[in-house]
Amino acid sequence: MTNYLSALDTVFDSLADPTRRAVVRRLGRGPASVSELASDFPMALPSFLRHIRALEGSGLIRTRKSGRVRTCTLEHDRLAVIEGWLAEQRAIWESRTDRLETFIHDAKDDQ
Amino acid sequence: MSSDLDPDLDLELARIIRAPRSAVWRAWTDAGALQQWFIPAPATLRVERLEVRPGGGLVTSFSEDGAKFEAHMDAVFLVVEPDSRLVWTNAIDSRWRPQNPQPVALTAEISFLEHDEGTDYRVVVRHGRPEDRKRHAELGFFEGWGTVTQQLAALVE
Repeated sequence: MTNYLSALDTVFDSLADPTRRAVVRRLGRGPASVSELASDFPMALPSFLRHIRALEGSGLIRTRKSGRVRTCTLEHDRLAVIEGWLAEQRAIWESRTDRLETFIHDAKDDQ
Repeated sequence: MSSDLDPDLDLELARIIRAPRSAVWRAWTDAGALQQWFIPAPATLRVERLEVRPGGGLVTSFSEDGAKFEAHMDAVFLVVEPDSRLVWTNAIDSRWRPQNPQPVALTAEISFLEHDEGTDYRVVVRHGRPEDRKRHAELGFFEGWGTVTQQLAALVE
């Protein structure tokens, strides 16, 4: 649970920036090169590269250099931590309901 | 009831419980009953306040060893309709002070509906946005998030 929440924190920290969210959205459509991505944003390349490194550091994207081109790809597994968190909340409530049901039936048997 | 649910944040479950609605209601609203099922054993729950009325407190503590108790939940009832519906939230505490519980604030809506075999028991939990505790001013992220997941689904299917 603790690891889970820290993974969630890392992902949300990384996505707490509009440029990085835009990059993730763009990569949701498919891999793109850094220069392709950078052309969408009105900022100097070094600033943009810092965002790319932050995303890479959080595990949300992966980059690979081939020749002079660095290609960025979205890491689906990392994005899935959000859905995983909700699934975990659901499991908590499902088992809580199991216990409620057992408790009521046991109480009835005692009567 | 659930038309406003956000699939990214909210959860819903339903169960037919073979007992009268009043019995299920009592399991939620009697402190001695609630502490027997609300959290999984071997941890023990202690109900500190259970004021079953709108604005009343729902305060619990828990213990791993049965000796040392720690704060568990400090919530407040929003809606109380006997034998029929309970709504509580931990977005404000039992003194009505806004708070930011970890990991996120939630509102739980528990419905006890009449059913041939007993009680049609339903739970809807609405969660706050996990990033709210980081950046209140950052809006629109989840919109983008929804788009990303749709695109992802399209990619992987």
